[in-house]
Amino acid sequence: MSGHALIPRNSLVWLLTAQIVALMPHLPRLPLWVAGLWLGCAIWRVQIQRMRWGYPGLPVRMLALAAVTLGVYLAQGTLIGLDAAVMLLLMLFMLKLLEMRKPRDALVVIYLGLFIVATAFLFDQSIALALFQCFSLLVLVAALVGLQQTPGRNDPARAMRTGGILLLQAVPLMLVLFVLFPRMGPLWAVNTPGQQARTGLAESMAPADVAELARSAELAFRVAFDGAVPAQPQLYWRAMTLTSFDGRRWSQSPLASGSMPRNWVPQGEPYRYQVITSASHQPWVFSLRGASSDDERLLLNRDFILQARRPLSQGMAYRATSYPDSLLEPQELEPLQRQLSLQLPEGMDPRSRAFADELRQQHPDDAELLQALLSHFNREPFHYTLRPAPLGRHSNDEFLFDSRRGFCAHFAGAMTFVLRAAGIPARVVAGYQGGEVNPRGNYVLVHQFDAHAWVEAWLPGQGWISVDPTFQVAPERIEQGLQEALQGEGSFLEGSPLTAVRYRNIGWLNNARLFWDDLNYQWQLRVLGYQSDRQTEFFRRWLGSADWQRIGLVSLVIILLCMLPMAWWILRPARRQLNRQGRAWLKLNRRLARLQLQAATGEGPRAWEQRLLLALPGQRVEISRFFDEYVRLAYASRQPGGGGSPQLERRLCALLRALPRSRPPRPITLAGLPDGESGR
Amino acid sequence: MRDVLKQATDAINQVLLGKQQAVRLAVACILAKGHLLIEDLPGMGKTTLSQALARVMGLSYQRIQFTSDLLPGDILGTSVFDRNTGAFVFHPGPIFAELVLADEINRATPKSQSALLEAMEEGQVTVDGATRPLPEPFFVIATQNPASQGGTFSLPESQLDRFLMRLSLGYPAPAAEKVLLQGDTGRARLDTLAPVLSRAQLQALQAQVPQITASEAIIDYILRLVTRTRESHLCAWGLSPRASLGLLAAARAWAMLENRGYVIPEDVQAVLPAVVGHRLRASDDPAGHGGGSLAQRLLNEVSAV
Repeated sequence: MSGHALIPRNSLVWLLTAQIVALMPHLPRLPLWVAGLWLGCAIWRVQIQRMRWGYPGLPVRMLALAAVTLGVYLAQGTLIGLDAAVMLLLMLFMLKLLEMRKPRDALVVIYLGLFIVATAFLFDQSIALALFQCFSLLVLVAALVGLQQTPGRNDPARAMRTGGILLLQAVPLMLVLFVLFPRMGPLWAVNTPGQQARTGLAESMAPADVAELARSAELAFRVAFDGAVPAQPQLYWRAMTLTSFDGRRWSQSPLASGSMPRNWVPQGEPYRYQVITSASHQPWVFSLRGASSDDERLLLNRDFILQARRPLSQGMAYRATSYPDSLLEPQELEPLQRQLSLQLPEGMDPRSRAFADELRQQHPDDAELLQALLSHFNREPFHYTLRPAPLGRHSNDEFLFDSRRGFCAHFAGAMTFVLRAAGIPARVVAGYQGGEVNPRGNYVLVHQFDAHAWVEAWLPGQGWISVDPTFQVAPERIEQGLQEALQGEGSFLEGSPLTAVRYRNIGWLNNARLFWDDLNYQWQLRVLGYQSDRQTEFFRRWLGSADWQRIGLVSLVIILLCMLPMAWWILRPARRQLNRQGRAWLKLNRRLARLQLQAATGEGPRAWEQRLLLALPGQRVEISRFFDEYVRLAYASRQPGGGGSPQLERRLCALLRALPRSRPPRPITLAGLPDGESGR
Repeated sequence: MRDVLKQATDAINQVLLGKQQAVRLAVACILAKGHLLIEDLPGMGKTTLSQALARVMGLSYQRIQFTSDLLPGDILGTSVFDRNTGAFVFHPGPIFAELVLADEINRATPKSQSALLEAMEEGQVTVDGATRPLPEPFFVIATQNPASQGGTFSLPESQLDRFLMRLSLGYPAPAAEKVLLQGDTGRARLDTLAPVLSRAQLQALQAQVPQITASEAIIDYILRLVTRTRESHLCAWGLSPRASLGLLAAARAWAMLENRGYVIPEDVQAVLPAVVGHRLRASDDPAGHGGGSLAQRLLNEVSAV
């Protein structure tokens, strides 16, 4: 490619295609005018190519830069942060079209495109995106190839094929780097995209929030158990405890976070499992009751709930062990904790308080009172529904005595209220309940609609025990899941008619969904989950240790081992399929190379012979004999190979024998230059 | 019989001093039945070379001086009314000779140029609806001043491609020029040249050229050369199959001049600059004079063995 050449038409088409493809994954996050901007730039560039319009001058470009910066500011509200920076980059990527004059500028566009392909992974790391970005890479490399094509050979399919071959050649290196490249911590803290619209648990709970969650079929997390998956009623995934109540909302107490001495007694059979969550930008992680984990990124808070030390800005996989029958703080409840667990807003819900007093008079024993309250939920005509009646100021009163229609959050909130009013320390636990077993990968899928709230009450001697009023009202919710519980009502995943989970009863569709989820699970586990800890584990297993010196050495060796066959493959055309005289020629030249004698690329056999005769006057006879035979074999007959005479080999041997071990340095005069007269 | 070729070239060399290489190429061009384009400044011996060739080869010789007002009829001939017989009689033009020298071909208009070039390609001319064959052998030597001189119509690529070789004579070596200045002029010696070959002998030799063995190794070498021009970024376009056929034919003729029954890479290399120089154009050279250096790069960069 000569420096002053223009960009050929076909490579412009390639470049525009590559731009669209590179921009596509970003488009859903961007305002619509961005597409318009791209279209404008593309049309302008095409008009430049058609020599209708000119390149924009400096003022226009400055104006465009300012306008685009303003646009980013208006769209994102800031110019700092990942979203804004990426958007600005995309804009400049588009504007670069307008100053793309030479092939060198086109190269800049392609390299930028490669970078933009990488930035898409900051927002999404799914398989689908990864596959699409492979395609983007292919198109970008094809554009790169197209840029190098000469006018006579600008077949787009050819560029695509060459690009594909180049990428395939890069795959082994990519795999090696994936396995061996050190996973460094972030070099600088990036404010990861604040996706406020994400569904998931929040710090506080009002019943409406849970109903909102129940409408989402989004995946919350996946769990793989060592051994069999426990029964559904065992699967209470604790995410947080809600201790403070303001009459409307239950929220976390500020004390809940932070570690404390763990006075708990593990009991019974443990469950061991691995949880894989996606990025939630919240610190909660999910575990069964009585959990502990060796993971350094997790801590156990004072309510015996596993928590991440930092909000999950990316997906995370962690292992945990749970003793579901263990005793939590069985002896004594700390005074402050006790006070917090009995706190109630003043002047709210008088009827509930009266009901609690009444219960207390009938049942002086805490455990009995608890039982009685549960059977109250069981006996009275409570109804489990996702369409409860709206509640007024005294929400618990209205729920317990008037409407009696609600779902887990109502039941858990009301029960905790009554327990506290009766003097029993209690709190609401929010999390998920149940999950769907994917038989294909033998793991449990927990969706957002599995969100659940239940109650923990403290009894002397037994510590915190879990009770679930929802189980008393709608046991099928716990045993079979939300879909079964709402069968009569038809409110399951209301408002998302296109979600595959809704159609679980259609066999093939359900199979396809589970298959796709398994694929995603494996992707998350094996590709995204391959972080520094698993890498270290991998090194320990295969190399015996994980020190960087050894790893560096091994990676070098592996890369060399990968590159050598490739180098051989690339250099292979130099040695064409050799026949008899070809082999002899090669052998002779290798030997002569040791004497610092080398045939030039374009040197014919007779010219080379002349030069050798001058350089090695002592071997004149052998040299002439060999070359005569060589020329006779290679050129004097039409058949390749020139018959089966071993004469050539004999002469080669004679010549090789006659050659000196080394040669006194002496200038070689060039004889027999290709101006004819190849001397004889 | 091949000794006569040596005698012939020696004879020409006595007229055109110090140009052995160009003379051999010209003879090879005739043997390969190709037409020759000599491009050089005025007074370098272009005409002398062509006349000497004609004489030594025993060919009938005609010279057409191309000027801007030359008409196709001036080349091909015209029909003239004969009062005695009452019919049109065709008066053949200068093209009806075995060796035609088209002097300064780029000074004529494209129309006249193409009249000649058509004859070169077809071996026959059509005048007044009657097709007349040209003598056999038929050989054109065209000369031109370097193409960018004023008042000229440089030959387009399609017409350049019809010439098997383009030669450039260049200034004589001082020693040769000294002899030239001391002795008789080349022109005077021209008259003393006796034909070395008969027309039949020449035709026999021409018929032998395709018999020269070109082994697979040589064919592969020619293919490598041609492919390189097609794939290299340096060349605006690659060589045509006509060029590769011409290259092979010229290499065979050269091998015959070397008195060898088969072609070796050195033969190809000897004729390559003359055969491909006018067919190649460097991609960054709009005037089109970079062909020679491209040919040299081909020689250096394409592996010969």
